[in-house]
Amino acid sequence: MKRFIRLAGMPLLGLLLFTGVASPGLAEESFSSEQVNLMASACANCHGTDGRLVGSVPTLAGRPAAVLEARLLAFKHNETTDATIMDRIAKGFTDEELTALAGHFAAIDPVDDDAPGSEQEPQQ
Amino acid sequence: MTQHSSRPGLNRRQLIKGLGAASLLPLVGGITPFAIGGQHAGQVVVIGGGFGGATAAKYLKRTNPAIEVILVEPAEAFYTCPFSNLHLGGLRSMHDIAHGYDELQDRYGVRVIHAMAEDIDAATRTVRLSTGSELEYDRLVLSPGIDIRWNALEGYDEKAAEKAPHAWKAGPQTELLRSQLEAMEDGGTFVMVAPANPFRCPPGPYERASLVANYLAQYKPKSKVLILDAKDNFSKQGLFMEGWERLYGDRIEWVGLSGDGRVTRVDADRLEVETEFGTVHQADVLNVIPPQKAGWIAERAGVTDDSGWVPVKPDTFESQQAEHIYVIGDASVAAPMPKSGFCANAQAKVVAAAIAASLESRPAPEAYWTNTCYSLVGPKYGISVAGVYRVRDGVIAEVEGSGGVSPANAPETTRALEAEYAVGWYNAICQDTWGTPV
Repeated sequence: MKRFIRLAGMPLLGLLLFTGVASPGLAEESFSSEQVNLMASACANCHGTDGRLVGSVPTLAGRPAAVLEARLLAFKHNETTDATIMDRIAKGFTDEELTALAGHFAAIDPVDDDAPGSEQEPQQ
Repeated sequence: MTQHSSRPGLNRRQLIKGLGAASLLPLVGGITPFAIGGQHAGQVVVIGGGFGGATAAKYLKRTNPAIEVILVEPAEAFYTCPFSNLHLGGLRSMHDIAHGYDELQDRYGVRVIHAMAEDIDAATRTVRLSTGSELEYDRLVLSPGIDIRWNALEGYDEKAAEKAPHAWKAGPQTELLRSQLEAMEDGGTFVMVAPANPFRCPPGPYERASLVANYLAQYKPKSKVLILDAKDNFSKQGLFMEGWERLYGDRIEWVGLSGDGRVTRVDADRLEVETEFGTVHQADVLNVIPPQKAGWIAERAGVTDDSGWVPVKPDTFESQQAEHIYVIGDASVAAPMPKSGFCANAQAKVVAAAIAASLESRPAPEAYWTNTCYSLVGPKYGISVAGVYRVRDGVIAEVEGSGGVSPANAPETTRALEAEYAVGWYNAICQDTWGTPV
């Protein structure tokens, strides 16, 4: 059932991107920014604060929302062959939460200028 | 005199720091001046600068820069327990696992005081420091980690730990155990005494045994590792045992509770231990991981229960016994979340959000926690456990269908990838907690 809903949602996402409307706006309507920030902060333990760290664990900040969303949903629904741990973690979130997370990280500037306050922007 | 009343002085110092940065970046203006006009959003004291405390301080400031945040931590450099086993195995220097507080102070405007918190008065909301001064708080975060239950295991006291190190708080104990291992003659036996649950870092003893075996295999090939365990099952057991067999053959011997593995007496002078049914084992290097409890200051705050740990309200981690005191990390009772640095960091973020909300008399956002814990069975052989947790029916529960351990009998490439990710994990969580550059 969930799978059907998700697949059914994909063309909609494509349409939104095509028409220039950011998909995360739609997803985040049901979550406060405070809620999404808290949820997203859990990702920082492996991906660095704001998902900006570059290393063996992929960077999240600034990647297209559709790419992140597709990846997260594929992890959750066992549709990848290269998962090591994200398949186990993604299953702890609803599809809507994963979409909101994708939108959150897509909106973050991947360049951290390392100045006080620079990290506050994406939080607002 | 309280340091609370000297807050304007603090603000001037912060302002000076802030101005230096402000000249480079106009956006910074909002951080400190907010507090100057008396509009500060409350004062939060955080005790303990480990994974829990440092993260709480940082995320409080990220959530609301107008909150005054004071971090109390005696050490200027924090040595992480995660990856301290790599030092024992000769794979990392102590320098590589040391982290400081520059980012918290310079970037986030946290006031860091290097002192011991000696007493807490929950009624007057004050913390007394080893310097003699007092701090007032609107909210208090305790992240004191663990203390050893000295003498809970017969013969194991602070003096014994100088001969048979626990090395369960990273630092001088880690270096002592490493030097003993280096001095051990080939053909010797490294004996580890492993505790019953609950204790800090459930897979830690077994990762340690692995990396000690890795060192011995290379430099002292006639030597053995013997684990005497007070329990019959341990974290990632199947994966560890599979890895031990693949990498180390029979070099590591594990004796569980039902095989008479529970040690009841330690003789540190003779490097001997005796088990429940009277078997005496002779060690060449003896590592005793003893029973533990919440860090001492939690007792002073009156938030521990008979177990020695701290019961908390699941959705906010506020103490069940004292209002406005939030307790995170190893000291808290958070099962099914393990006592891990990752969980301490995750709990800190929930607490930061809960405190920021409570200072504005708003309800806290819904809590989410994750845990991701890698263990190295060898330098290129990693395994992991993950979990996602939420509050369900008033208790913390793992989300059904999520989490679990790495697959059994996975190919070498998977283990090698997880070993790489283990290093990425360490870099990320340290960057997230202390801002340590990678």
